[in-house]
Amino acid sequence: MKLVLFGDDFKLGLLQGDNVVDISQATEEINYFSPQEMMSLLIQDFDKYLGKIEELAAKGQGIPASQLRLRSPLPEPGRIVCMAGNYMESGTRSEPGPIAAFNKSSSSVIGNGDTVILPDAPATVFEHEAELGIVIGKRAHAIKAASVYDYIFGYVNFIDVSCRGIGRPGADNFFIGKSWHTFGPIGPALVTADEVANPQALPIRLSVQGDLRQDYNTGDMAHKIPEMLEWVTSITTLEPGDVVACGTNHRGLGPLQDGDTVEMEIGNFGKLTVHVTDAQKRSWPRETHAQREAREAAAAR
Amino acid sequence: MKLVLFGEDYRLGVLQGDAVIDASSVGNEIPHNTPQQMMSKLIADFDQHRGRLEQLAASGQGTPVGQVRLRAPVPRPARLVCMAGNYMENGTLTQPNPLNAFNKSSSSIIGNGDVITIPGSDPRIFEHEAELAIIIGKKAERVSAENSYDYIFGYTNFVDVSHRGRQDDGLRHNFFDGKSWETFGPLGPSIVTADEVSDPQNLAIKLWVQGDLRQDYNTSDMGHSIKETLKWITSITTLQPGDVVACGTNHRGLGPLQDGDKMEVEIADFGRLTNQVSDAKKRTWPRETRSQREAREAKA
Repeated sequence: MKLVLFGDDFKLGLLQGDNVVDISQATEEINYFSPQEMMSLLIQDFDKYLGKIEELAAKGQGIPASQLRLRSPLPEPGRIVCMAGNYMESGTRSEPGPIAAFNKSSSSVIGNGDTVILPDAPATVFEHEAELGIVIGKRAHAIKAASVYDYIFGYVNFIDVSCRGIGRPGADNFFIGKSWHTFGPIGPALVTADEVANPQALPIRLSVQGDLRQDYNTGDMAHKIPEMLEWVTSITTLEPGDVVACGTNHRGLGPLQDGDTVEMEIGNFGKLTVHVTDAQKRSWPRETHAQREAREAAAAR
Repeated sequence: MKLVLFGEDYRLGVLQGDAVIDASSVGNEIPHNTPQQMMSKLIADFDQHRGRLEQLAASGQGTPVGQVRLRAPVPRPARLVCMAGNYMENGTLTQPNPLNAFNKSSSSIIGNGDVITIPGSDPRIFEHEAELAIIIGKKAERVSAENSYDYIFGYTNFVDVSHRGRQDDGLRHNFFDGKSWETFGPLGPSIVTADEVSDPQNLAIKLWVQGDLRQDYNTSDMGHSIKETLKWITSITTLQPGDVVACGTNHRGLGPLQDGDKMEVEIADFGRLTNQVSDAKKRTWPRETRSQREAREAKA
């Protein structure tokens, strides 16, 4: 099942093929004060609402998704915990790095079709990090690796937009590096876990202006999902509707700049498209980390 | 006014001297699913509620504070942004560090009388960081320095309990596993509304462990002022009513926390926040502050 939020009032919908079926009636009983709270409460008691959702889905007409504004299916999760440096980098690492994470501000979240705004900050570059986002299904504190999948409700496409070369050298600069407004595209849909046969074998692709930059598989993850969730929840409690982003493979990272269109897709999750704007119109060489290394190695020869 | 939450059901109260006056009649009228939502909405619309809270406070029908369980007055703020390295360290820094912050998990928050549970992991040390915490009063996005006080609802005592990894001595700092552990965010006992704090850049902050004064500094030593801090944070991320910004600490008086410790912190006349420390592994460290250690090492 692919859940979406759409329109100015963040209505609940179901993505079926290219159509969105309005299933907002399913959540009429939920007492909530924000679209995120509606989603979090829906996720927490999903079994209770499933029958009604299926009933509405079966008789709904559906509107082409292209005619709607899709919002982030999680507009402001209570927590976005992002793993840092959590891939084997296509064989360029001999062993996993130390397990590490940061809390990204959830006010960074934007949805499909929205725009990443590059701030007027003295960063050396702004980059895209395509990541698998895990959506938590029930309260998770100090859970064991063997049972973590019981706590996963679903998955989303997530881009951890990042700025580099800013902050205090040697310090943890994840706040100023990651938490800017619009730096957290999520969506378009929340894909329920039953649709994802093996979350450790998902292809992740991200292109900028039609050029494929990131093309890796979650099989390359260093600290796998069970270990990761055991570690994160040994430190902090996760709640339904929270997001844990699994980190990225950095080989395909490259710059984002004014006018760019970014497209990202994991498996058959559906494509997440966002635009980039920069009032300062800065530009950078249009190459990935791997391409830059190859160019520099060739020049040194 | 000093606002508190108390009891098993997180009732709204007003602290008057040593008495807690039940203000749940006000709190219960605010539609909410969680105590945090009630508090955030009360803060957002405080002008509507102030009169009734003052009336209740004046009626004086309170319970001695020692007889109630005070909870953190903001139990789960949507955002808990903490400043890093934001003091001049009693003259040991010649200039402020670059502005830096981190998001601390708000599930770390505990209230007065609650227990800080030291995790089983194996860092170099666990330390207390007594801090002035700002409670945001209205949506704050890209605020200017000069207007930043318009966005402050009040203040509270906060301790940013910290876990120093073995690799964090200038080489690798990890704020997530350094700061976000459950119980690592004692906060309270009350929110002191901004009108009661004449100069937030001139507040004495004191922290005791087992009765020994460890931290004793003033917010005037701050590296980046509150105005600058709020301008910078809200240029990056949006804050909402009921969110918390912690102003960082002066590190000179930091020292270890260990099993059985009683930790107390008090900023000016905010009222004392007291917490116990528990460590199943019963680890111990020399009972000295950073400046005491430096002095000892210099002598040796």
